[in-house]
Amino acid sequence: MKFTLNIWRQKGPDERGRLVTYEARDVSSGMSFLEMLDSVNQGLIAKGEEPVAFEQDCREGICGSCSLVINGIPHGPDRGITTCQLYMRRFPDGAVITIEPWRARAFPIIKDLVVDRRALDRIMQAGGYISVHTGGAVDGNVLLISKDQAETAMDAAACIGCGACVAACKNASPALFVGAKVSHLALLPQGKPERTSRVKAMLEAVDREGFGSCGNQNECEAVCPKRISVRFIATLNREYLWSGVVESGLPAEPESPHAESA
Amino acid sequence: MALPSNHFRSSVGSKVVMALSGLGLVIYVILHMLGNLQVFQGSHAFNGYAVFLRDMPILLWTARIGLLSLAAFHIVLAIQLTLRNRHARPVAYAVREYRQASFSSRTMAASGFVLLFFIIFHLFHLTADMIDPSSVDRLDVEGHRDVYGKLVHAFQNPFIMALYLAGQLGLGLHLNHAVTSSLQTLGFEYVAFNRLFKAAGPTVALVVVLGNVAIILAVFLGIVHG
Repeated sequence: MKFTLNIWRQKGPDERGRLVTYEARDVSSGMSFLEMLDSVNQGLIAKGEEPVAFEQDCREGICGSCSLVINGIPHGPDRGITTCQLYMRRFPDGAVITIEPWRARAFPIIKDLVVDRRALDRIMQAGGYISVHTGGAVDGNVLLISKDQAETAMDAAACIGCGACVAACKNASPALFVGAKVSHLALLPQGKPERTSRVKAMLEAVDREGFGSCGNQNECEAVCPKRISVRFIATLNREYLWSGVVESGLPAEPESPHAESA
Repeated sequence: MALPSNHFRSSVGSKVVMALSGLGLVIYVILHMLGNLQVFQGSHAFNGYAVFLRDMPILLWTARIGLLSLAAFHIVLAIQLTLRNRHARPVAYAVREYRQASFSSRTMAASGFVLLFFIIFHLFHLTADMIDPSSVDRLDVEGHRDVYGKLVHAFQNPFIMALYLAGQLGLGLHLNHAVTSSLQTLGFEYVAFNRLFKAAGPTVALVVVLGNVAIILAVFLGIVHG
């Protein structure tokens, strides 16, 4: 198979980038999208040119490293998969494919198609954890959790933090990511003690990082490789409102466990 | 129970205020449509309804000031959030394909602007009476202000009618996304009811627009006449 690729090339964070056209020849229909890029890079290296930088790691759809907006859709034309799970047989022979990085102010481009997604890590550091004493593992079924609750928490916890929700959102909002993280912790007993301070701290971090706000267009849900539902964004909003109600009933705010050390 | 003020300064807090003020305006729009449907009962009923509203100046002015402040909150926060959102993506995609985002959800700012200008026009036209010089303030046979006659006169004019239909298009587009989106922002989510929440926006939009358009077309086509 043969493809015409328009790939975003950018030398560094402060350089101007542009789309450069490459020809991908002798592509096998069984190649994954990333393998196709590997073969293009081999050709570039052979010619003495700079290969295209892109992120990848597990290549089996669970690590959340690969990104790429392919023909205007994060993770490409198929639903519920990451870029590494996309195969070239999905495209008609001779197709023109435009490949761009995730675009958001909070995700500055490092090089070519690689963006800095540490903003999501900083949101997690603000509250996306539980504080527990370590020690011997607790026996199974000591904490009783209903099947429904466990399943819903698992649906939310499936998030791999790839950032496709931000890339797809018109406003570059990470609401689906934060909603998934807040929901899966708020649904389980281990997450309950820090429930109100967590959602507040994480949403403050979202604003601090320069993300946009959710417009409820549900475009994130449509591109999420783990098919996380936008119902968790509603849960996020509800948790936030509830944290305000709870806080207004408290005499004074205790030292927040999530206050970041700058 | 007051929420801590910094809650409302966050972007989710701003969205909550937008959702609440928006839903307040939606309730008004529904009542406005239902009240005006009385035009189909003839001039007696309609002018009587106008007298009924005017007879309670405290209620009338409370409603007017309330609506104005709701609209002010809604518009100021909308501008603030929109600017912030535009700022969040400095470089646009060269190729962009939407999968799920509805047309109306992508044009909320535009339909909001159409709506704002339409409302200003509507207030100058039928409330302040400053647009159409050929419209005269008459009294009906019972000595009430002939609001019915004024309305019939207005919508017999094809330009006015077209402007009002355009306004309804803006209203329908805005409401279609607005109601469902507001419910989501306020955290309404429950598996058994999610389809209901999803349907709320299109349903409200359809009912309000159909009601209003029925009045406009009924006058223009001569079904309701002076």
